[in-house]
Amino acid sequence: MIKFRLSAMTALRISAVLTLVGLAFMAWSMLQPTPMPVMLAMSVGQGFGCTAFALYLYVVVRDIRRARREQVPGARDPS
Amino acid sequence: MVSWIIAKPFLAGALLCAACAAVLALWFLLRRPALTRTTKLVLLAAIGVLPLAAAATGNVAGFEATKARGFCGSCHVMTPYQHDSEDHRSITLAARHARNELFGDENCYACHADYGMFGTVVTKLGGLRHIYEYALHYRNMSLDEARATIHIRKPFQNATCMHCHSTAGPSWNAVKDHASLLDRVRAGTVSCASAGCHGPAHPFSKPEAAR
Repeated sequence: MIKFRLSAMTALRISAVLTLVGLAFMAWSMLQPTPMPVMLAMSVGQGFGCTAFALYLYVVVRDIRRARREQVPGARDPS
Repeated sequence: MVSWIIAKPFLAGALLCAACAAVLALWFLLRRPALTRTTKLVLLAAIGVLPLAAAATGNVAGFEATKARGFCGSCHVMTPYQHDSEDHRSITLAARHARNELFGDENCYACHADYGMFGTVVTKLGGLRHIYEYALHYRNMSLDEARATIHIRKPFQNATCMHCHSTAGPSWNAVKDHASLLDRVRAGTVSCASAGCHGPAHPFSKPEAAR
């Protein structure tokens, strides 16, 4: 099985880009409140935002777990 | 500027949060700082806290924006209804309610919203259906064709009128027709907007039989 592991920096950069895209949708809907921008902001835009935040949380949780593993003596090195 | 912020606090707050989040996200992308605890806290603000605040306030601002008559009129098939509401010489129910400062720019929403505990949610779900119908069926329809084809989905409920005109006030009951039809109006068997009473709300309203 191919295991795809994203580095923390790459994941956070992707997350930041997704955040910017989501914010762009949101700003568009607020500056031009017509049906299509409002619909896109509340669906696609929020989807981008949630994905970005989930990616950020994934990185943070992974870092915390790794830090805990390193603190435990004799813990198995995953690498 | 200050008066605009006071008039639209949610919109201003959402734009401010979005701008701050964008600046922080761009800082991270362009400066490429080391992943220290401070950087992660900045990212928490840029990716989590500020966008969430922007989404929350932006949604409120968005819901408010969807109440405006201009929003309804932004679908071309609704522009005749919008123009009639904005016509100061028009004597239709819609136009007269638009001239009432209690309704003003939100007269479409005031009369077509469902009231009650889940009224706003039900109304917004109905609005989604409108967008679906518009995108798939009415987007390229001419105005003449749309006027003949489009009709209200379900009969207009007297309960909507009674949200403001409670039928309990002495001035309302002083009208002989109101007093004699009180039970039927409350039961919804006689429409406030029927011919002979207050008439159709829009100049393009269609009789029940024509739908």
